[in-house]
Amino acid sequence: MTPWRWAGARVLGLRVRLLLTFALLGVTTTAAVASGSYIQARTVILQQAQDAAVASLTDQLTKVYPIAQLPPTQGELDNLAQRLSDREGFAVVIYRDLRAQGSDSPELLTPELRQNVGDGRIAWQRVSFEGEPVLLIGTQLKFARPDGTSRSSGLEVYSVRSLVAEQQSIDRLASLAWLTGGLSLLLAVLLALLAARGVLRPVRDLGRAARRLGEGDLSTRLTVRGADELADVARTFNDTAGTLERQVGELRRMESDARRFVADVSHELRTPLAAMTAVTDVLDEEAGHLAGDAGRAARLVSQETQNLTQLVNDLIEVSRFDSGTARLALDDVDVAAAVTATLRIRGWLDRVRTELPPGVVARLDPRRLDVIVANLVGNAFRHGAEPVSVRLSADPDWVTIEVSDQGPGLDPEVLPHVFDRFYKADTARTRSEGSGFGLAIAWENARLHRHGDRRGSLVAGHRPGGGAVFTLRLPRDPADAGGDR
Amino acid sequence: MTGRRTGRALLAGGLLLTLLVAGCGVRPSRVITGRSAVSGPSQGTGLYLLAQGELVLVLRPATAGASPATAGALPATADASPANALALLVAGPDEDERGQGFTSEVPVGIDPVTVTAGADRSGLTVRTTGAALSLSAHAADQIICTVADAAAQVDLAFSFSPVTIVGPDGARPPRPCPIK
Repeated sequence: MTPWRWAGARVLGLRVRLLLTFALLGVTTTAAVASGSYIQARTVILQQAQDAAVASLTDQLTKVYPIAQLPPTQGELDNLAQRLSDREGFAVVIYRDLRAQGSDSPELLTPELRQNVGDGRIAWQRVSFEGEPVLLIGTQLKFARPDGTSRSSGLEVYSVRSLVAEQQSIDRLASLAWLTGGLSLLLAVLLALLAARGVLRPVRDLGRAARRLGEGDLSTRLTVRGADELADVARTFNDTAGTLERQVGELRRMESDARRFVADVSHELRTPLAAMTAVTDVLDEEAGHLAGDAGRAARLVSQETQNLTQLVNDLIEVSRFDSGTARLALDDVDVAAAVTATLRIRGWLDRVRTELPPGVVARLDPRRLDVIVANLVGNAFRHGAEPVSVRLSADPDWVTIEVSDQGPGLDPEVLPHVFDRFYKADTARTRSEGSGFGLAIAWENARLHRHGDRRGSLVAGHRPGGGAVFTLRLPRDPADAGGDR
Repeated sequence: MTGRRTGRALLAGGLLLTLLVAGCGVRPSRVITGRSAVSGPSQGTGLYLLAQGELVLVLRPATAGASPATAGALPATADASPANALALLVAGPDEDERGQGFTSEVPVGIDPVTVTAGADRSGLTVRTTGAALSLSAHAADQIICTVADAAAQVDLAFSFSPVTIVGPDGARPPRPCPIK
């Protein structure tokens, strides 16, 4: 159904519809005018021919008078018929049962015509004889009396006259009408094409501009031509695009302002935090000697200072990603060894099940790999349930690290948001360990790795047996993978 | 919707074309009537004889010499007065006329006759020496039409004036000529 409708829409597109409308209009008008004038001209031609023939016959018949003898003999009738016959036609003279004819053609006179002539009037009729039009004119010959009346003589004269010449004139008219119709159809089609081009070009331009705008080119504008409705549409489009561009620009400026503000604040916080860390180090050493509330307070201050330092560091990292200044420091890394080192440094090596085939070498940023793996494993410990396992696999194009746990898994509502900043799965716990940036930073770090058009990715999902699984895929230059193949 | 509209437009166009094609050329027509039939003067004496039971006008040449065929019982007369016309009628159809099937029911014994015209051309009266009432209807009409036509030609009466035939046995009611 749909392809049909699509094809229908194509076939009955604006151009075709305009074409059809113009052609129909042209043909209808021409047909009406041409047929009207054709019929008029035909009527005039036939009427003139008939009237002339009737006048000529009556003229000839007045020369027959005075009639001196009735009933006529066959010879007299033949004479009369001969006298009335000429190049254009022949005459038939009838007196009761006698009949004389100027030509040896068959009977053409119709009973209706004879009836009308018998009633005492001049009558004529067009008939078709062997495909040719023939005009029949008939009249009685009457005797005029001094008192104005007339007496029937019983003589009837018919003139038979071919209308082929008139038919030819009329046929010429008809072919002229057809020619006019054809030319006007051609003209209508040409005009329709011109009009369609005039209308369709702005529409096509508009469509192209709207598509560019949709693709994000907010500086798209149309050239406004003329002052018609389409120009209005183009002007409206330009206004809309201008407003959109202005507002999007405003939003972008505000967003970058906010980011710059965060980055500036983070930087400004670093120096006092460094001093505070130094002080809390001393406090930590002294905490053991402080009794009661003072010791607890000192430990709390130390803990919170560490958290704050972590938050500020994460913020700085995030603002680097946002401003696009984050750069990869690539190195040829033995992935298994790097993951093992990450786990060892954090003291998780004996709590995590690892499946790390040796010899997978890839060109990566080792610091960022460390950040990602530490984040994922730390998360698994915090939110999932042990045992946590880390599995490494590789093919020539990708290095894949899966971190999974045996916990309850991720809530389907949470799943789309796990990589959002400050997103915390447990809304009741407003203050948890971690800054709320961990997964966001890991995700950005994964995305930062790219090779050609392949880009690193971090995906959260469920394991078939329950528990969450985070899959990190980093692109790999096939040239590096030589050893594996 | 659009399809139906296009279909209707095509139908209209087709109809128009059919009309155009059908209306081309010179078509046969019905009978067209014009003014009344051609008429003109006649020469000679007009008589009404019978042919197949109908009254038919017969013209005899005006001069006796021109028509040797009339060398019958009565001499032909030069003038076309009603009485002379009646005399010719009584003489009956000549050879040619008989050959073409003309007859007459007017009896020979009706002659001689006198024709008098009424005042203001109101009517004609034919007086005969033969029986008037025993004349057949055809014979009476022959006499009436012949007399009326002859009288109209010499401007004694209108051609549709009523004619009364009077004989020794009585008069027939006045009657105009039944044919034109």
